[in-house]
This record gives sequence, C-alpha cells and structure tokens, in this order.
Amino acid sequence: MKFIVLIHSNPKPWAHPTSDHTAEYQALPQQTKDELGAHWDKVFGEADANGEVVYGCALGDPTSSQVFHYAGAPVPSDGPYAEGKEHLAGFFVLDVESRERAAEIAAAFSCPGDTIELRPTMQPGCEA
Amino acid sequence: MQIEDVWRRQAPYVLAALLRGGRPLADCEDAAQEALIAALRQWTSGGIPRNPRGWLIRVAGRRLVDMTRTDTARARRELRDAYTSEQDRPTGWADRTTDRDDSLQLLVLCCHPSLSAPAAVALTLRAVAGLTTEQVAAGLLIPTTTAAQRISRAKKSLAGARFGPVAPAELPQRLHAVRHVLHLTFTAGSSAGAGPDLIDTGLTRNAIRLTDQLHRALPRDAETAGLLALMLLVDARTPARTEQAALVPLADQDRSRWHRDQIDRAVILLEDALPRGPVGPFQLQAAIAAVHATAATFADTDWAEILQLYRMLQDVAPSPAVDLGAAIALSEVDGARAGLAALEPLLRQRPRDHRIIAARAHLLEAIGDAEAAECYAQAAALTDSIPEQHYLHTKAAALRR
Repeated sequence: MKFIVLIHSNPKPWAHPTSDHTAEYQALPQQTKDELGAHWDKVFGEADANGEVVYGCALGDPTSSQVFHYAGAPVPSDGPYAEGKEHLAGFFVLDVESRERAAEIAAAFSCPGDTIELRPTMQPGCEA
Repeated sequence: MQIEDVWRRQAPYVLAALLRGGRPLADCEDAAQEALIAALRQWTSGGIPRNPRGWLIRVAGRRLVDMTRTDTARARRELRDAYTSEQDRPTGWADRTTDRDDSLQLLVLCCHPSLSAPAAVALTLRAVAGLTTEQVAAGLLIPTTTAAQRISRAKKSLAGARFGPVAPAELPQRLHAVRHVLHLTFTAGSSAGAGPDLIDTGLTRNAIRLTDQLHRALPRDAETAGLLALMLLVDARTPARTEQAALVPLADQDRSRWHRDQIDRAVILLEDALPRGPVGPFQLQAAIAAVHATAATFADTDWAEILQLYRMLQDVAPSPAVDLGAAIALSEVDGARAGLAALEPLLRQRPRDHRIIAARAHLLEAIGDAEAAECYAQAAALTDSIPEQHYLHTKAAALRR
C-alpha cells in the first residue's frame, strides 16, 4: 500500500528541514530537540532500510511558484498557490504493509511548527 | 518474446548452478543477469542455442570467475571447471530431481526470514522469477531506483546465508515464509491491475508460476497446494471482475468468462490436499473460493458450506478479513439483519475499514434502509482502489436517484 506523507509548514526563512526554521521548534529545550531528532532518525532509518521509503522531495519557496488558472486558456500568475498559514514544504512516498505502519512512520515527522498529513494513494487495480 | 520465455524458465537453475560454486548470492545474481544481457544480444541474431541452460551457465560462470579476484591461475581454472561440468550435466530423470531441489532451495534463500517482506518479494521476482529490475519496479508500481535498492540491500543482507538443503526441522518454518512472500506477490499484482504489456510482467502470473514450482518440488505439502489452488481460483475470475474500469461484484459476474481450466486444476489440488490434514489457512481460503467457483450461478452458491469454512478459518487464522467473510456468509444463510448484527462489532473495531462499510451498505440496501447510499459513499471515500471506488460511487448515485 502506498501513502504520501505531506509536510505542511511555514519556516522563516524558507529552508529545510523546515522544523529548524520555525519559531515553535526553536523554542524547544535542546533535550527535546535531540529526542525528536533521534526518534525520527530511528524510525525513518528503519523504514528506509526496509525499502519502505519510495521517494522524498523538499520543495522550494512557495513564493517562487507559478500558478496557472484556466480561464479559456491557462493564465499564469506568481505564487504562492494559497494564502494559508502553512504551505506544502515537502513529501515522502511510502510503500508499506498497512495503514497502521504508514501512520507510525508519518508520526515520526511530527514536530512543533509543522503539520504532517498522511494520505493514501489510489491503486489502478483492486484486491480480489 | 521467446528469448525472455527461455530466460524465465532457466533463470533459477542458472543461478542455482552458480551458487553451488560457493560464491556469494550478490555476485552470482549479477553474473546471471549479465548472461541474460549477453543472451538477448547474441540470440536475437544467432538464434537460441540447443542447450540454453548450458550456454547461460557457461557465460555467467565466466563472468563470475572474472569478477572473482582469485589470486592463482589454478584457483581460477578450478572455478571455471566447476561451472563447465555444471553446464554439461546430463539431462534426464536425475536432472529433474535436481531442478526441483534447486527451485526450492532458491526460494527458501530469497524468502529468508531475516529480510523484510518487500525486500524478499523484490529479490524473489528478480532472482527466481527471472524478471529484470525494471519489470520488478513496473509490477510493484515503484521507481526502478527503489526496486534496485531493495534488491541490492536484500542481496547484501544475505551475504552470509547459505545456499543448500534446508534441515528438515527448519523446513516448515522456512516454507511458511516462502508462502507468505509468494502470496504477497500475488496480492500486490492484484492491486497493481493488469497492464496492457504483451510481455507478461504481471506479478499474479509470476506468483502462480513460482508457487507451481514450489508445489512441484514439494507435491505432498498441503498448504503449498492450498496456496496454488487459491491463486488459480482468484486469478480464474479476473476476466469477469472488471468491466470498463469498474468493478463487477461476484453476484453480477459473467461466469462463462472465468478460466474453467484453472478452476478444474484447483479443485483437483484441493481434493488431494484437504483429506491429508491438518488443514491450514490457505487450503481453507482456497476451499471457500472453490465453492464460489463451482457454483453454476450466484444463487446456487452453497453459503452454509462457506460459513462453515469461515468458522474454521476463524479458529486457525483469525483476522478482520476472515470475520468480515463470516459475517457476509451469515447474511446469506440467516438474512441481511443477522449479517448487519454480525458487522456491528467489526465496525466498532475498525471504523474506517472500507470493506466492512461496503458490506454494510449492501446489507442496508437489501433491507431497504435509506442509509445505504450514505454508507456506499463513505466506503468510496475510504478505498484506495480506483475500480472499487468507481463501483461504490455508482451504487450510491443509483440509490439517490
């Protein structure tokens, strides 16, 4: 089963890993930062070694984006796409045995200042 | 693509011959793949040799010797001789016995319990089924780089694992792992859907082929026979399962489109395996599929028999899917209201399971409950299968009209 982990964030300045650049994360005591980091290293490292991580990508600054609206023809304008508090900052594609396993990996991405979204991907076939 | 067919058939025996020389799996597998590339190049123009296996072992053996940093000329000569004698092994009854051992030992090695399931699936497809990395990736719907990574990591983890006969005491546990990997390969193939490729890279086909190989190596192993029967039965219904990208439920399938020859073979396998006992989960799942497959029409289905088989499965291998199957069978035996009552506790445990919600929608529709449409829509939102989602949306829309 394939899932996508979406990282929503608004680091200032826009940089990766996003958590290093959010006020909420920076306010944490060093020990908590270390614990979060060690937990992510462990969970993500295991998932990667298992071949459960298919692909990952960090995204550029939302203000560098170009948006196309369709009004009889594609009309380009400068981004960001949404005016929201947070933007899509990056994503990872997982291939795992269950939703529970996907949630376990996704949860390890969670830290103050970032919102993690886990979404299933659709399959072209169906289980018999 | 005849060369590819020859390769698929010979791949495990070529690799086994190389492994018998005592070299690590990673080197042997690389050498075997290089022999395939050489074969594709040379056989396309020059034709397929009379003894393709001998040709492949000779070429791969040479590559392996070249790869091996053996210091002395004598050691290199001995290695080369080993593969040459392998290539000239006589064919006949004795050889077929070795073939069976080879495919068994290779499966046991590639489905090693130290590997994660996805790693074992990828390695087995390449090393035993003879797929290229690109084909493994296409089958699993993952990028080629990910497939390559899984395969090379799997090979690295098996660097110390031994190729050879498995101790009889260890065999049941190792076979359990092999069947698990083959079954996962099969279900992964079902989710990926059938491709339009002329070359059959389909995982379901390859899973059936490998399970058939395992069954031929161990014809008395009842659970392996059960797994093969299950795959044949599920696969037999594939042509009738979808219509223009939409799912066709069992009740509405055109049964004349089912592969009757596969159903017949599965029934024979089960009739032979079941009386030998103890009856394992794959045999029971296959027996359920066989009851469906041998009913002339949906109305003729022997639901009492299916319910009894699900009850046995609940004892042997309980799972949410088995409980759901039992609830559906119960609804056919005792009516939709009994089925709905049986679904209640399952839904409490797994409130987001689209299969349970879809079953509930069907039963609500059967008793004329207006909530059915909402229930179908809820299941549609939770499934990750495009054809299934299409079907569930259609049901919801029809009820709302």
